[in-house]
Amino acid sequence: MVTYDEGGNASPFTGSGLLARVFSTKHKTIGLQYLWLSLASVLVGMVLSALLRVHASWPDAAIPFLSGLESSPERYTAVRLLHGSLMVFFVLTVAPQLGFGNFLLPLQIGAEEMAFPTLNCVSLWLTVASLAGMTTSFFRPIGEGIEFWLVSAAIFSLGALLSALNFCVTTIELRTKGMTLPRMPVTVWAWLVNAILSLLIFSVLLAGCTTVLSDRLLGSNFFSATAFLAQQPLNLVREGSLPVLWQRLFWYFAQAEVYVAILPCFGIITHLVATFARKPIWKERLVVLAICGVGVIGFCVWGYHMFATGMNPYAPLVFSVLASSLGVPAAFLLASWLGTLWDARIQFTTAVLFAIGFISLFIAGGLSGIFLARHDLSQAAASQDFVIGHFHLVMGVAATFAILAGLFFWFPKLFGRRMNESLGKAHFWLTFAGVYCIFMPMHWMGLLTESTMFPEAQRVVLASAGESIRALVTAATIWTVAAQVLFVANFLGSLWRWEKMEVDNPWAATTLEWSVGSPAPEENFGGRTPVVYRGAYEFAPQHLSPKLPAQKAE
Amino acid sequence: MPGTIVREEIELIIEKKDGGGGITPPAGGNGGGGDDGKKRPNRRVSPGRYYTGIAIGIVSVLMFFMALASAFLVRKGGPDWIPVHIPRLLWVNTVVLIASSGALEAARKRLGQMDVGGFQRLWFVTTILGVIFLAGQVAAWRILVKQGVYLASNPASSFFYIFTGAHAVHLLGGIGGLIYVARRNFEKAKVTRTVAAEVTSYYWHFMDGLWLFLLALMYLGK
Repeated sequence: MVTYDEGGNASPFTGSGLLARVFSTKHKTIGLQYLWLSLASVLVGMVLSALLRVHASWPDAAIPFLSGLESSPERYTAVRLLHGSLMVFFVLTVAPQLGFGNFLLPLQIGAEEMAFPTLNCVSLWLTVASLAGMTTSFFRPIGEGIEFWLVSAAIFSLGALLSALNFCVTTIELRTKGMTLPRMPVTVWAWLVNAILSLLIFSVLLAGCTTVLSDRLLGSNFFSATAFLAQQPLNLVREGSLPVLWQRLFWYFAQAEVYVAILPCFGIITHLVATFARKPIWKERLVVLAICGVGVIGFCVWGYHMFATGMNPYAPLVFSVLASSLGVPAAFLLASWLGTLWDARIQFTTAVLFAIGFISLFIAGGLSGIFLARHDLSQAAASQDFVIGHFHLVMGVAATFAILAGLFFWFPKLFGRRMNESLGKAHFWLTFAGVYCIFMPMHWMGLLTESTMFPEAQRVVLASAGESIRALVTAATIWTVAAQVLFVANFLGSLWRWEKMEVDNPWAATTLEWSVGSPAPEENFGGRTPVVYRGAYEFAPQHLSPKLPAQKAE
Repeated sequence: MPGTIVREEIELIIEKKDGGGGITPPAGGNGGGGDDGKKRPNRRVSPGRYYTGIAIGIVSVLMFFMALASAFLVRKGGPDWIPVHIPRLLWVNTVVLIASSGALEAARKRLGQMDVGGFQRLWFVTTILGVIFLAGQVAAWRILVKQGVYLASNPASSFFYIFTGAHAVHLLGGIGGLIYVARRNFEKAKVTRTVAAEVTSYYWHFMDGLWLFLLALMYLGK
């Protein structure tokens, strides 16, 4: 796929010493720093989710971690907020885009560096500052904590905007010779579309946070509820609801944020499916169009979170149609993944298992989204547990599976070692079973015990059934969190003890990053300019395809 | 369902000198992060990244202000909305800002004629006009404060201060850019003075246009 042209790019910033490493402007170091940040966040976030489930099942039980803090409903909300913030901002937004993207984007397009390395470093440290702020907000009194959180969200937005700019410019301007748009790996397309979407929505969150902070700290009147809500028709505003204006700004960001989390995962999964099926992506251009379609439609559907707040009577129809139409690109993506896997001699590595797990979760979670996209059905289904079950399957867990698939796949490129396959597969099956046992029953729990579609008398009977489902969900959560010990052991063991790589390209993959050594060398392409002659997913005929080297235990 | 397809590779590679993807990276380009001058006497990188970068940055800033503008349109007309009487000084400030854009274009014209001295003088005038505009905005705030119109007075005043304040913060970035272009030794820089001046001018003109939009919004939408 690639030849080298002497005398092209030269080395990026070089420096030694702790400070130079910590504040490095090199894309690979920054990518790894983002991934470490995500790993820490996901571990804490998971433990918090287990604490939340334990509290839901046994509300009177003392929770060790929280016993020193004030025990109040606000504290429970603060745990939920910290769990959500860690997972959404620092895992789902950071890992697939900023972690893998920063490390791999220049390698995959044949560039030596990101377009603006210093800006990249600034983005990273803004993200770190935001993580510190959001964590601090949890330990502060509730009012002060909210202000900490808002400042942190604004800082995160600023960092995300700078990163998005860097991704766009790098992809548009720094592609190497022959890396035409049709030859770009789907991962690069996904990172690009995602960067454009991030650029648009994080600006809105920044504006929202600025105005709310101004209201809270300076006494301005952007969202002062009393007078504004007084003029709204009574039936349009639920008692105790937040000001609708803030909700609009927030959901403008937050609904599209779902796609910011999932878009790079689409790229990763498509990439892995093709690589391990050893076949070109079925209808590759349609996949790229579908990714663009998800970005465009995802930008327009914020109102579908606001059916219950009261809107113009025609608005729910518009948002319902838009939200439902997301099914079209999603169906294209599914068809392509299944079409690529069809009749392929799939190599069932841990990476591909997680990729197939992603597809399964995406289908399961996507189906329940149909109920929430229709405003009439959502009246019945919009219970808390149903919504939590839906978005955790389709956004949280599916995206986490994609991140794990990517980690198993690119681990040799990141660290020059392979993760242990046996441990990886055991981890996959335990986690896969665990997450289904958590989130599918959660749908039923929501429908049975919280939905308004049953008469009051029947709901009392159903409530007892809800108790046993809740206990099952809690047990499955503890099971799933415990299973992650296998992952941590595999990850750390692979780094420090297990196999060193004997080959640079253990998966016989075809994209540019595998044309250089593993781990990726200091200078990506050794000061030479790679020249690309063909598409990213053109494999040799199957009978000529290299067999993957077997993993040897040390 | 699809079978395995293997196409012959080779596709024509079109090489261009500037812009776009799939091109030859400039000799000596280092991805923008290098400071190892010994290895690379020519540190210049493709200017395309700066043009694209400023265009994308402008989209992002525009989106920030559009979010505020949409909130303004939703919020105005409420019972607690007391329109702000825009101080006349703002019109003077607007003329100053437009004049700064004119001076900037004149400076770039001089640069095109290789008249670096003339460029520096007009560039300095642009910067001073930008500073005068900012000082004028602060003076306008003081006029409103004297009238008893504060940030916290009512929603209209809140929007007035945030529009003018956020624009001023972004314009400060523009003034930083102007000073950078004026002070930088471009013999050692990764871009030429012409590219730096052009990229800065895009941002400055955008700030100009954005101010006209905000002023129109506040004036017509009050």
